[in-house]
Amino acid sequence: MTLFQALLIALFGYLSSNYSPWCFGQLGGWYTMGRPLVSGLIIGIILGDVRTGILMGAAVQTLYIGLVTPGLSMPADLNFAAYMGIPLAMAAGASTEYALSLSVPLSFLGVSLVYVVASVNVCWVRKQEQWIEQGKIKKAANAPVYASISQFIARFVPIFLACYFGQDFIISVVEAIPAWLGDTFVIFGKMLPAVGFAMLLRFVLNKNVELAYFFVGFIMIAVLKMPIVAATMIACFLAYLDIRYTAKKTNELEVEVDE
Amino acid sequence: MSNPLKKLTKRDLFHAYAYWMMFALAAQNMERMEAPAFAGMMGKVADKLYDDPEEQKALMLRHTQFYNSQPMVGVMINGIALGMEEQRAGGENVPDELISSTKTALMGPFAGVGDSLFIGTLIPILLSIGLGLVGEQGSLAGPLFYIVAWLGIMLPFTWLTFRFGYRSGITAIHTLFESGMKDVAVRFANIVGLIIVGCISAQYVSVKIGWTYVSGEMTMSIQSVLDGILPGLLPLLLTLGAWALMEKKHWKMGRVFVLIFAMALIGRFFGILA
Repeated sequence: MTLFQALLIALFGYLSSNYSPWCFGQLGGWYTMGRPLVSGLIIGIILGDVRTGILMGAAVQTLYIGLVTPGLSMPADLNFAAYMGIPLAMAAGASTEYALSLSVPLSFLGVSLVYVVASVNVCWVRKQEQWIEQGKIKKAANAPVYASISQFIARFVPIFLACYFGQDFIISVVEAIPAWLGDTFVIFGKMLPAVGFAMLLRFVLNKNVELAYFFVGFIMIAVLKMPIVAATMIACFLAYLDIRYTAKKTNELEVEVDE
Repeated sequence: MSNPLKKLTKRDLFHAYAYWMMFALAAQNMERMEAPAFAGMMGKVADKLYDDPEEQKALMLRHTQFYNSQPMVGVMINGIALGMEEQRAGGENVPDELISSTKTALMGPFAGVGDSLFIGTLIPILLSIGLGLVGEQGSLAGPLFYIVAWLGIMLPFTWLTFRFGYRSGITAIHTLFESGMKDVAVRFANIVGLIIVGCISAQYVSVKIGWTYVSGEMTMSIQSVLDGILPGLLPLLLTLGAWALMEKKHWKMGRVFVLIFAMALIGRFFGILA
């Protein structure tokens, strides 16, 4: 693989990754170019063998066809599987199984990188708030544009290194990263949303006793494992009861006053 | 429909829509998820809605609260919020609470429907057809079919639902004010929002004990003991703890972060957390 080809694949790898905004966000990026079926076509064009590219892409796609990535949970890193696995297998003239087996050790790297990026991006939340307070509206509105840099680094660099120096290199890099460091970020990342919800709670909570509603919501998901739509219906019902009960009380009061 | 409160042109609407579609996840973060992009979308039209810089700031700050949904399917919520904000800017006395609670109440269901209907159903169907077309020959028709079908469905769909949301936001405000149901609606949205915050806390916050107690023949997983008391007990305590520290002890958010990072680091180091 030439330097130019490796750079191009790394660039498209970044553009096809989940948080890249440049191809109309998820619509043209993650859910179009990021599907291995389409990635295979792109990689095939870059490497000058469209047919093999499409066949490899289709093979990787078959494996991940039912992959839904709600929130941040990711069972496998599709982006690295496609943009490292397919080019490396093509360069080696190897089978599609080879491409797939490569993506397994790289999943660990990919998944912890998602958490690293999402943890680092918290500093852009601070920056944006600072800019709003200072009245820099345009700059604050552009905060997500600047924030894209962290995803660019996290995707472009590993894909480029893997494509250019080969899989032995990237696997040895992955193995050199101590496991506890990656784990710490994953643990930290999974705990962090608590702060966002705590902020939201401060905002929507009028009286401390209404934390009861918060608990009901929590229990419906954590204990009863309800789908969110069903939980919302119950939430609407409880809100209806609350309003009806309160309204009735005030009506009665009015009646008493009238009499 | 002529609307005296109208401040946004179709062009402004398209800008807001395109901004959200592109940047929804660009600043995705563990604390507020898609909030920077939501605030950013409002920032893009802030000067159209308000002349007063203080009002522009307040507008953006209203939307820096936690927000997370399926960005493409949830684009309708952005439309609703924008419609409400336009009515507010036009002089209607729309309470800030109504706007935030509506967003909070809707983001969960939209994420659920978006993930199951579009990501979990539509995409696999289109991909399967594409894979069929690839065949053994590696035909170009496979990927091309997927690209054309997917974009052909979703581009109009997202733009239309955004416009629909925007009009609903305006109508909702009109109806509420004319019928005098405003206070009831605020209360309703508030309660649903509060319950949904509970739901999504259970979905997103995760803390697990990896430590097992071993004594002779007996091994006891602390996590399963906790699950026996209440599944999700630790995430619940963590969320409430963060809330209490900020609300009651007036901790700055940075301090809460440092505390949680220290917990993660120490927890992983001694194998308490997994």
